[in-house]
Amino acid sequence: MTAIFINGQPVETGEHTTVLQAALANGFYIPHFCWHPALSIVGNCRVCVVEQEGRGVGIACNMPISDGMRVLTDSDPVRAQRKAMLQFILLNHPVDCGICDKAGECALQDYHYEYNGEPAISGDPKLPSTKFFPLSERILLDNERCILCSRCVRFTREISKSNVLGLEHRGDSMLVRPAEGRTLDDDPYSDNVVDICPVGALLSRSFLYQSRVWYLEPTPSVCPGCARGCTVQLWHRKAEWRVKGLDERHNTRIHRVTPLENPRVNGPWICNKGRDLPELLDRPRATQALQKGETVSLMQAIEAARGLLDQAGKRVALVSSWGSNEELRAFRNSLGDYFTSFVKPDHLPLEGEVVEDDLLIRADKNPNTRAGQDLLGAGVVQIPEDTDLILVWGEGTDFGTLPRGAKILFLGSWLLPENGHADVFIPISIQTERRGHYTNFEGVVSAFEPCQPRRDGVIDAETLFPLLSAPGGSASGGGAA
Amino acid sequence: MTGRKVLMDFEVTPTSHSLDDYRARGGYEALEKVLRTMKPREVTQEIVDSGLQGRGGAAFPAGRKWQGIDPDDGQPHYLIANADEGEPGTFKDRWVLEYTPHTLLESMLLSCYALGVRHCFVYIRGEYDLPWRRLDAAVEEAYAAGYFGENILGSDFSCDLFVFRGAGAYVCGEASSLLGSIEGTRAFPRNRPPRMTVRGLHQAPTVVNNVETLATIAWIIRNGASAFREVGTEKSPGTRLISISGHIARPGVYEVELGYSWARFLHEDCGGVLGGRPLKAVIPGGISSQVLTGKDAKVLTAGEVEGLTLDHEKLRSAGSSLGSGGMIVIAEGTCMVRLLQIMLRFYHHESCGQCTPCREGTGWMHRIIDRIVAGDGRPEDLERLNYIAGFNDGTTICGLGDAAGYAATAMLDNFREEFDYFIEHKRSKFAGNLE
Repeated sequence: MTAIFINGQPVETGEHTTVLQAALANGFYIPHFCWHPALSIVGNCRVCVVEQEGRGVGIACNMPISDGMRVLTDSDPVRAQRKAMLQFILLNHPVDCGICDKAGECALQDYHYEYNGEPAISGDPKLPSTKFFPLSERILLDNERCILCSRCVRFTREISKSNVLGLEHRGDSMLVRPAEGRTLDDDPYSDNVVDICPVGALLSRSFLYQSRVWYLEPTPSVCPGCARGCTVQLWHRKAEWRVKGLDERHNTRIHRVTPLENPRVNGPWICNKGRDLPELLDRPRATQALQKGETVSLMQAIEAARGLLDQAGKRVALVSSWGSNEELRAFRNSLGDYFTSFVKPDHLPLEGEVVEDDLLIRADKNPNTRAGQDLLGAGVVQIPEDTDLILVWGEGTDFGTLPRGAKILFLGSWLLPENGHADVFIPISIQTERRGHYTNFEGVVSAFEPCQPRRDGVIDAETLFPLLSAPGGSASGGGAA
Repeated sequence: MTGRKVLMDFEVTPTSHSLDDYRARGGYEALEKVLRTMKPREVTQEIVDSGLQGRGGAAFPAGRKWQGIDPDDGQPHYLIANADEGEPGTFKDRWVLEYTPHTLLESMLLSCYALGVRHCFVYIRGEYDLPWRRLDAAVEEAYAAGYFGENILGSDFSCDLFVFRGAGAYVCGEASSLLGSIEGTRAFPRNRPPRMTVRGLHQAPTVVNNVETLATIAWIIRNGASAFREVGTEKSPGTRLISISGHIARPGVYEVELGYSWARFLHEDCGGVLGGRPLKAVIPGGISSQVLTGKDAKVLTAGEVEGLTLDHEKLRSAGSSLGSGGMIVIAEGTCMVRLLQIMLRFYHHESCGQCTPCREGTGWMHRIIDRIVAGDGRPEDLERLNYIAGFNDGTTICGLGDAAGYAATAMLDNFREEFDYFIEHKRSKFAGNLE
């Protein structure tokens, strides 16, 4: 354990090796642009300066800790140099915060108010540069706003290892550009560069001009895109900023998905599939219970389902690997005895999708296979020809492959043609409408919170399963009149 | 003449760069002596004792740099001769490479022996064509004669040399940026710590020395450290190659014993200022220098030059340094505003763009001085130049940013009234431009 003094206060540095890390860990904030905890040190922004007593001003991100060193984070020379660095950075920065998506969460904006706060010294016109340079189908680059911290370049070299981005030209005409003949489309993690960009230079096309960030708030959630179960934040409008003229759906729309840093699962990153979660969740929803294609009320459908359950002799359940831990437990407790249960994959890898890699993406494209198999066994799906009733929970099953004589009880969330082909269809809620947990392939449990109101006519699977097996309806059949 | 000689101790003939001529004047004797009788650490000790200072610009003691490397630590080491002589006004290493490349090769062999180096490099700037051809031919001769390769001269010492041609970026003359160029990455200077003698080329301990520094080593080993100490002054032993250009009657490369009178060098050896005009200023060591520590690029006015001697301490006390040995003489009647414009254009063009102050500051200063020269100067511009220059100095990763800052500060400090005149009258105080 090494002790150093920051602003006169003794600080235990623990396992940290640089002054910047030790200071941040102990509550002394030092501004920084280019330094990122997951990336290598380049020390090019020159903003994280501190004064080491007796040795002058230097950058904290590359200043090794030595026992008993005394560091000042806010002395006069430090403040003067920070101010000058911000003047340099803002020299040709357009300061178009009014139309910049990053405004409100921009490091440059924050630091300007905190450490500079003065108008530009330069009286000369700003130099123009490229705007809206397409790095990929997903990302635009605004070179006027870029401060050349090289975080994005280092990300593609050190984290995603796609090596797509590089620096072109020299000096103040230097530009971030993709390598010759390549685009960021090659990189399944590309959207992370938008998050780590300290300014608004890298823009996500899906979030471009969608909302000011201060109208939004995040809800912690778990990405259901694969068995990794990355923790994410779903950004939606704050309740007090709902627009009355818009319908509820627009007001509760998920505007963007960002990673929720979690060292046990995904670190500070998620893949592009996780960013596209809103597309997955915005598909047309099934909100109407059906009996052989005829609309019925939810209660009638549950009644009918009970009837099917009682009449059937041989019952098989295809359990959703998208059910939460709570739902799977409710299923086992309420219906586990009635059914021979198999956990099925709801989603398979799509064409063109990265199936598996060394960083995050897993081949199993379902979030909770592990918990389901722990509870119900890891058997391969096998449906005997003489099955009377098949409970299909979740999407991904082709009814044509099921035994002809079997009745089908279908629990689903989406508006699909199969809904009408089932003998009974009951609409169930989705992840963003309820609370729950997923267990990832390594056994790490992560929680998700609701951020959208439950649709009318939809029931939580967790509530449904006890109803299906409720006394009075279970044994004798038709007793619920 | 300009004192005793270490490097220019032979007559240049059409064949003086060849191996035969070099052998005839005692070449490779030091190597044979060392391989037979000396241990690596003894060679390093000899260099430490000689007090040899780096000739690239920072004047850092070469022996102290070498002591940062343990030749027996079992890991690979590298030695690189920095021949990327891009400093404006500097062309002294070119003389070594063109006229006596074998001096460099022998010295590098001795250094490799001392530092436990198996592979060494010469990083030569891309614009040097004849020097490169001469060096390449010399390397071939040396390989053919068995001075490089496996088991040199029957000893168990093996060493290979690679000549690496740069592509003409000034910033590659900065030692750590040069490593990036050799490794094939972008030539960005690297943050210290770690020092290059801890983690340099391919993450292995590396020594980067200037060509002139290395070329001196053969002489030191041949004649002994005490003989070297007798040349020059007590604190700056040896000689310097000075490349002198600008408004001078006889420009060229001179070898000057350190401690030699500056006025005598200018007015007698170099024939005085061109056209007999009075001396206005001297830029003593390249407009900046390749490795920077002090106020390297400071311009000396005529009054300061008289009475100075050419050695590191005297110049440092005058607030300047010998830098890279590229001396530029400026005669009375030269417009310093235009001169600063040229210097700042150079820094702007050559800034690598890695760190903020230099990337933005050099361009900012260049645009301001362009505006002043175009007649659109504003009174507050000079304060602004001073501000930018002040925060370019000491805030960057390498010395290029510092140098750009010094250049502007030095010019503004010494010739302020010329700048004020230019802004007020929208034209130069002097009728003529730079010649």
